[in-house]
Amino acid sequence: MNRSVKYALAFAVAVAAGHVGTIIAAPRAIMHVALNKMSDGGKRLNQFSFGPRTTSHSRTVVRPSPDLAYSNCVYDLSQGPIRVSAAPSPDNGYVSLSVFDARTDNVGVFDSLQFPQGISFVLAKAGQKTPPGVSVVISPSTRGVILDRRLAPSAELFAKVDQARRADSCAPL
Amino acid sequence: MADQPLSRWKLALVLLLGLAIGAGSAVHSMKRGGLRGAGSTGWHGNAVTGSVDADPWTRARVALTGLLALNKSQAIYFTTQTDDSGARLSERCRYRVSGGALPARWWSVTVYADDDYLPQNEDDALSFDATEVKPDARAQWSALVASKPEPGLPWASSNKAGDYTLTLRLYNPTKAAQEDFGTIPLPKVTKLNCGGAA
Repeated sequence: MNRSVKYALAFAVAVAAGHVGTIIAAPRAIMHVALNKMSDGGKRLNQFSFGPRTTSHSRTVVRPSPDLAYSNCVYDLSQGPIRVSAAPSPDNGYVSLSVFDARTDNVGVFDSLQFPQGISFVLAKAGQKTPPGVSVVISPSTRGVILDRRLAPSAELFAKVDQARRADSCAPL
Repeated sequence: MADQPLSRWKLALVLLLGLAIGAGSAVHSMKRGGLRGAGSTGWHGNAVTGSVDADPWTRARVALTGLLALNKSQAIYFTTQTDDSGARLSERCRYRVSGGALPARWWSVTVYADDDYLPQNEDDALSFDATEVKPDARAQWSALVASKPEPGLPWASSNKAGDYTLTLRLYNPTKAAQEDFGTIPLPKVTKLNCGGAA
């Protein structure tokens, strides 16, 4: 094999490695940055933060919906499972609680259609002890985020929904 | 043997260049890879968005352009960057978005600038939704996406959006819609005019 062919082969392998490596690393890297933003650099863990109404200036996460009220709880399961609950919105408005792991996968989701009286579950890592008789979501990663989305397409609805979501809880067992 | 150091240096350069090009192609694929339309419209959606079953390319694309997207049991997302003629959506043009009943509890259409954030305008009209449109007797509705509103039409502002995309969100989609995206009657995006021309 002559030298030019060897260089061409090395180049092709490097292109493939750069492409695949970036594709595999990107979700964790992007999620890491987002979790840091949402938890104020890791200072606010296992507690809900209630976002303001989405406007054209909202830039925490790409493609926010202007019709939803967002709250988030960046979780850390290193000390054990956490209990998560969300109160219903007024007039049975849409509420969903979704759990995302460090790889960005949506590993659990509950909504107000299934649970009109409010949502409650325990979030744990595999192997952690959880109380009996409760819904349990297993997170493949120690850290991730729980997102509370509520339908609030107007300022008036947002104000009502904002009051309701203040009863949300995300705390160690 | 005398040229060995030079060969190593060249090899390192070749490898670095290859890695950089590979990483660049990955970023391009994450940014644009999902923007291939299907059928006669430019709308595209992915049944494994947000799912643990997502392939690495889908997962990476969603992380960059739609982080924290829900899986299809909760929401289905479609995005288009073109009108029905295949032309890129532009803030210089006005578009009619029209369709029929959509198989979901609630839906919305939102304008996003090319950086995947909401356009930087103060129009307070970043989207229109199922509660704003006025379906006729055949359940047909229409709305306007343009830089200025028109009386009587639901409006999403494209002010300061540049070349933009539209995202359709279907919340609590029906089982049939979840199982086969092909059954979803996606809205039409029709260009009305550009640059103020009649």
